[in-house]
Amino acid sequence: MTFITEQASSAQNSEIQRGIRAVTPILFGLVPVALAFGALASQKGLTASEVSLMTGLNFAGGSEFAAIGLWQAVPPLLLIVAITFLVNSRHLLMGAALTPHLAGLPRWKAYAVLVLMCDESWALGLADARKHRFFSLPFYFGQAVTLYLGWMALSTLGALAGPLLGDIEQYGADLAFPAVFLVLLRGMWPGVVKASPWLASLAVAIAAYLALPGAWYVPLGALTGLGLSWLMAGRT
Amino acid sequence: MIDPWTLIIIIGMATVTVTTRIGGYALLRGRTLSPRLLATMEAAPGCVLIAVIAPHFATGRPADMLALVITVVAALRLPMLPTVMIGMASAAILRQVL
Repeated sequence: MTFITEQASSAQNSEIQRGIRAVTPILFGLVPVALAFGALASQKGLTASEVSLMTGLNFAGGSEFAAIGLWQAVPPLLLIVAITFLVNSRHLLMGAALTPHLAGLPRWKAYAVLVLMCDESWALGLADARKHRFFSLPFYFGQAVTLYLGWMALSTLGALAGPLLGDIEQYGADLAFPAVFLVLLRGMWPGVVKASPWLASLAVAIAAYLALPGAWYVPLGALTGLGLSWLMAGRT
Repeated sequence: MIDPWTLIIIIGMATVTVTTRIGGYALLRGRTLSPRLLATMEAAPGCVLIAVIAPHFATGRPADMLALVITVVAALRLPMLPTVMIGMASAAILRQVL
């Protein structure tokens, strides 16, 4: 009995380690992004503890960059929360895609998987499940917890180092964020025809960004793209 | 160290983010969606991500636009880390030069 438990726990450990190994290259890619995020946040007046709290509780980099972009002396609560929802609305679809893999799990384990779901942990978890025809929980938690701790620690470090760096635009750090998103978009590229809603979204978002104040460009662009996608889906 | 208004905003952000994370599972567990809705939803993550970075396409500064083009090309071929490094380096250098 003891023997069996030990064997099971060593198999579990090796799955956790496999998860950590799989996520390491992604974590390296996120180093400059997280540092840049922390430094940008500190330039907008957030303290390192506030950055830890935001990344620790929210853990969704895209929405955090968007929030910092909208940050002011008295930051607009409703606008930031609404934009956070819009930027993270993709999680609804990602969670839906994970649902079949969570079927046999106790409810609390399924929720633990979902609470740690970000673009990277979701993509790695699904790719691994497809390859092995099995959703490995210790693999998933190994990589997802590594991402979580890495993102929080590195962005806090960025917030601490921010004041020493001065204006971080001179290092091109603000380009780190679109670079990550462009790589994620490349990973989900569905072909030219199916990507035409993306281009509609981009075009309308650019126009709205130039014409309107605030962050209306996100909902206006995204909804235009979804509308086009809905029309295209009706034709086939 | 933690401003109360900032704390309220962070809690607001965290609440809606957790809702999006568990919402898809909570709503869809044991349901079927129309094929048209599924096909529409397929485009949603891309539409949202690209709208979020739209301001980078509209800065109007030649150095930024050129750096973005270089980043797009890098993103088409390279993994995360080199793309990020190339994006940052090209922006840093071009802003000095142009």
